[in-house]
Amino acid sequence: MSDDRHPVPEELHVLAGEYVLGVLDVAEMRAVRRRAMADPAFAAVITAWEQKLAPMANAVPPLPPPEALWARIEEATAPVALEPEDEPLRSRPVAPAAVGPHVEPPLVPRLRAAAARAAPRARLWPWQFTTFAAMAVAAGVVAVAVLPTLGSRLGIPPGLIGGPPAQVAALLPPDSQTAGFLAEAQPNGTVMLTALSTVTVPSGHDLELWMLPPGGTAPSALGVLPAAGRRLTLPQMPRAGTQLMISIEPPGGSPTGAPTGPVVFAGSLGHASL
Amino acid sequence: MDGEELSNELAGLIRLVAAGHRGAFRRIYDVYAAQMHAIAMRITRQAPLAADAVHDAFLQLWRNAGRFDVSRGNPEAWLISIVRYRALDIARRRGREVAEDDIPEQVDEAPDPLAQLASSRDSAALNACLAQLEADRRRLLVLAFVEGLSHSEVAERLKMPLGTVKSWIRRSLQSLRACLEGAG
Repeated sequence: MSDDRHPVPEELHVLAGEYVLGVLDVAEMRAVRRRAMADPAFAAVITAWEQKLAPMANAVPPLPPPEALWARIEEATAPVALEPEDEPLRSRPVAPAAVGPHVEPPLVPRLRAAAARAAPRARLWPWQFTTFAAMAVAAGVVAVAVLPTLGSRLGIPPGLIGGPPAQVAALLPPDSQTAGFLAEAQPNGTVMLTALSTVTVPSGHDLELWMLPPGGTAPSALGVLPAAGRRLTLPQMPRAGTQLMISIEPPGGSPTGAPTGPVVFAGSLGHASL
Repeated sequence: MDGEELSNELAGLIRLVAAGHRGAFRRIYDVYAAQMHAIAMRITRQAPLAADAVHDAFLQLWRNAGRFDVSRGNPEAWLISIVRYRALDIARRRGREVAEDDIPEQVDEAPDPLAQLASSRDSAALNACLAQLEADRRRLLVLAFVEGLSHSEVAERLKMPLGTVKSWIRRSLQSLRACLEGAG
């Protein structure tokens, strides 16, 4: 049960067993979890107890969860983008109770929930151009595939997206598929950025928006971006494939003309034809 | 499908979930949610709380599936642990002040959970080792696990001194560990 890193004292084997059994109080449980995070050998002892005691759970006859539970779980884990349906698994026979209705929640609540979840996770990310480019490509795929529907469901006036071909991008954090901002570029050069989540900017810092045309090597600054979003006017509409990104900078924006802080959202503009 | 095939399938499904496969996620829910819900119900004693525990467990599965390591062993044990910890957290937080007089009717007190335990194929080793404990101590251990009772809740339920409960559990765990490691 212990491994060869260091022997785990008998006392800790018992403590791990009590933890897995579930007899500890809140403070003791917390202490065990803290220790397990710092001590892999102790964590391994806990895992071993989990493996050994889990069969006791079979003593409890199954009890189907409420019908509505799956919809809640699906909503809470929904990606912000409507992805192509997963390949259906070749399914083997399942108990009849397990075949529940597949509820597809409406997009907008899912979007809001996803965006709300994304906000606290807007993790800091050291500026790395190559990574950003890869990320932006991935985000661009999402944007092109998804945003036409998304724009209309968000209540964006049809003219804005539907008239002459506008371009849109979902700006995503590097580690998530949940959009933080929606960017829409109009043929007249107007670019509207709308926050899809409550974006928390570290105190004493500003968000700054950057643009990198396809084939470009250095992003150009488009100015400070309030957390709620903003409208800006460019000389012309950015080309399709132009990458937009948002970094965290000192107050007033980057002093160097290039991103100095972590990139927290990025995406690539694509045509949104309705 | 027997237990081993299910475990192999589950390990594969967890890898798919780690890659963001929603169909695999749904499949795990279809096969395991009822067992996980039953476990959570026994521990939280209230339907809304049990549903919350299962909800939280599946969110954890969705986010952390990549952390599951096949070498950890049986993936079902991992799922069971996740939902038990969520249920225990909820139950401890709520203090379960209503525990004694608000036991839902679906949750019947099995006269001896070991009878059902005996039917599980995976549990042969545990079962054999539990059988070596004195009957009172064995029942106490299973009760604590299944109901998720704390030391003091066990003492209250069984009208035993807290110190005795603690030492019974400690010795039972020591015996179990010796027995299970001996059995390999």
